[in-house]
Amino acid sequence: MTRYLIRRLLQGIPLLLIISFILFLLMMNMGDPVATMGGRRVTRSVDYERLKRQLGLDKPLIVQYVYWLIGNDWTKVDMNGDGIAEVPGTRKGVLRGDFGTSLVNRGVPVMQVIGERVPNTLILMLSGEVIVILGALVIGVFSALRQYSLLDHVVTALSFIGYSMPIFFVALLLMFIFAVLFKRWGLPYMPTVGMFDPQVGKTFGQVLYHTVLPVISMSIVSLASYSRYIRSTMLDVLNQDYIRTARSKGLPRRSVIFIHALKNASLPIATIVGLDLPFLLGGAVVTERIFAWPGMGRLFLDHVSRADTPVVMGILMIVAVAVIVFQILTDIVYAWLDPRIRFD
Amino acid sequence: MKNKSLMYVIFVILATTSIVLSSCGGVQPSATPTVQAVATQTPTPAKKVVTIIFPQEFDTLGPLYTDMWFSWTTWQLYLAWAWEFDENNEPFPKLVTEIPSIANGGISSDGTIITMHLRKDIKWSDNIPITADDFIFTWAMAVSPKNTVSSAYPYDHISSVTAPDPQTVVITFKEPFAPWLATIWHGILPKHILGPIYDSAGTIDNADWLKNPTVGCGPFVLAKWESGSFARFVRNDNYWGTPAKVDEIFIRFVPDAQKEALQAGDADLGTYIPYSDVPALKASGLNIVTEPNGYNEGLFFLDDSNGKLGNPALRDVKVRKAILLAIDRNAINRDLHFGLTNVPASFWDALPYYNNPPLVNYPYDPELAKGLLDQAGWIDSNGDGVREKDGVNLELSYGTSISKDRQDTQAVIKQDLAAIGIKVNIQSLDADIFLATYGEGGPAATGKIDIMEWSDGPVFPDADIYYWLCSEIPSNENPQGSNWFYTCDQQLNDLIALQSTQVDATARQKTISEINQLFYDKVYWLGLWQDPDVYAVGPRLKGIKFSGVTPFFNVVDWDIVNP
Repeated sequence: MTRYLIRRLLQGIPLLLIISFILFLLMMNMGDPVATMGGRRVTRSVDYERLKRQLGLDKPLIVQYVYWLIGNDWTKVDMNGDGIAEVPGTRKGVLRGDFGTSLVNRGVPVMQVIGERVPNTLILMLSGEVIVILGALVIGVFSALRQYSLLDHVVTALSFIGYSMPIFFVALLLMFIFAVLFKRWGLPYMPTVGMFDPQVGKTFGQVLYHTVLPVISMSIVSLASYSRYIRSTMLDVLNQDYIRTARSKGLPRRSVIFIHALKNASLPIATIVGLDLPFLLGGAVVTERIFAWPGMGRLFLDHVSRADTPVVMGILMIVAVAVIVFQILTDIVYAWLDPRIRFD
Repeated sequence: MKNKSLMYVIFVILATTSIVLSSCGGVQPSATPTVQAVATQTPTPAKKVVTIIFPQEFDTLGPLYTDMWFSWTTWQLYLAWAWEFDENNEPFPKLVTEIPSIANGGISSDGTIITMHLRKDIKWSDNIPITADDFIFTWAMAVSPKNTVSSAYPYDHISSVTAPDPQTVVITFKEPFAPWLATIWHGILPKHILGPIYDSAGTIDNADWLKNPTVGCGPFVLAKWESGSFARFVRNDNYWGTPAKVDEIFIRFVPDAQKEALQAGDADLGTYIPYSDVPALKASGLNIVTEPNGYNEGLFFLDDSNGKLGNPALRDVKVRKAILLAIDRNAINRDLHFGLTNVPASFWDALPYYNNPPLVNYPYDPELAKGLLDQAGWIDSNGDGVREKDGVNLELSYGTSISKDRQDTQAVIKQDLAAIGIKVNIQSLDADIFLATYGEGGPAATGKIDIMEWSDGPVFPDADIYYWLCSEIPSNENPQGSNWFYTCDQQLNDLIALQSTQVDATARQKTISEINQLFYDKVYWLGLWQDPDVYAVGPRLKGIKFSGVTPFFNVVDWDIVNP
């Protein structure tokens, strides 16, 4: 097992290098961070040239990638535009833990920019994931056990409706009903945006209260798809011979379903959850934007739109690392769920 | 089962920990002791808090380091300009005793030296006096090659800034510089905070003050800026001017659901309101305010004076005029903007002093447009609905950046021009791509788009322009050139160059009026709609006025009723 883990981790290193180079190439073609500098006018030509030079954006792409990877503190930079590189570089590079500074929030380290958003994203995403997994298990198992019953048809119909609704529509609909209309009707209403009411302050209760609508919005779509998946795998397993054997041996129904059937039905579900978990760090782009939730998804979108390569690369690399790690963890969970799987 | 339960427990713990950690973020102590006390206290319902929505988050709070409207707007809360502008966009002294002029001796006879006298009572929120040294330091930081400021303009036009005494600032320009009133001293840097950082680090790029300016000189001070979420400003108890009536200004960053938040009463002031949201907001009891800011949405024509780029039709003023006459601009303003905007007759529409005598808009007259095209020799001889001349079809590319408003406009204009025999090929591109420079291969900058649309204006509230200078035509030698129209009209060029050096207002007005008339006669620009700032003001917020230059200039007068 240890050897397996080490081997998988070592395999991840060249993979990450290849991913980083491809992503860097793509990012460099996502726009020009100096074109307007966030303003309404095109950056003046003198400023444009100076900023490109000072920020190192005038260098060939491969040089920029090398600086991003291993830093530029071993060379000098031309800051005043006289053609002579006179100022020592200060970047250490990703391999030494320096992801650089944001081009948009100039001077702010990338890890600080990202670090400020991670807890907010985890609140939303973990809450949503827990609700989705638990809810889908309940609905999926229930639906499988009562296949073709009226309730199964109702659940199936609702699942398809939930699955076919885009998140932005669900989010805006919930916001309109539970905030705007409820207020208009004089009912207690939910908050629309943000993490707390400024009149009250950022308390535990306020954050929890403001989490309700975004989590529900996110969960509806995923819940629908997960529950369909669980229903399908449960149906497969319930028709297996060993389940019939367990039943004929007189095992209690609960043991048959939750120990023998669900555990085996969980194998493909573990794969899906394993694939989903790393992307929790990436946040929910649409939900976070609509509910003005300061998470990673919004950070990603905001900085992609400004072609802020250091920040975007930081986010993407974190997600890439998480994907590799969670894949390894998924393999471990596989072995736990199915004793036939061996690492040797 | 035991392990599975453990997993659920871990999930719950992680979620709870995240919430707790995140909610703790709001009460983290800040760097400055005086502000710490304010930042850590939980606001009580009795406090007067104005909640503002910004659809975009500001990228930095440091002056010099950004061109974002949202950053500029915030400066009136915690900083001050040397002079600010009122609801009529007229300047009034803020940090100075009076605005320099030739009459009061503040401007030298040759227009190169400007002398400012500072108020004696101005001070930073940490009680350190604001002196001429802060102004000198601001200029030095703007032009230092070690700082990555977003623009060194107009400080790079200055040869020296000196201080004969702590309350006097003498600015010497390299040559007479007309737009000084609109462009300099937008936020002063505190030398006592940033000076030591510059001395030790060689740059202020990484200074904490740029993102956490807890010391300022405005009526409020920053208590906390939480990325992606909010920025909270609390009343500056050491403010040298009239104290603010409200206790806090709370800015939320809401990219998408501003309308719903305003309707639900979760904010008192909305900014950058899309025209399509106006009816719903009005119906919910919000007051919609528009404020001219100098910007006009308009069409720019590729009129290559060298005759190489674009469709040759656009080099003929009759064709440009025909396009102008064929577009029903009033219908665009009425149908797409609910009548909230007007058609600008002049590039200087928001500056009546310079749009003088005021120009009268060309009418919507497609028949006259057809006649002009006939006169210009563009005839539909093969009956395909598109005019042609010398084997060239009157087929134009028309590009702009992606936004619903612009794409709707493109559709209307395409239809209007088709009616007079001009075929239009619409292009909609990401702003970064559309506005990329010649050096970056931008389609507009490299002359690949015949008609370009964006919102622009003079250096408001100044009249200065420079795009149409011949020297600004992009090329391999000048890849950052901003004359993407490739127009080199020597008369226009000389007038633009002249006005930028005319410090005498009357003489400059005459020059700008000549430029204005040239624009009009030769149709170098086609105005579609005035592009004002649009605000939605909630019923609780009283006393608010807006300026198109320093929007929150009267923030001390804002009040909340029934807080």
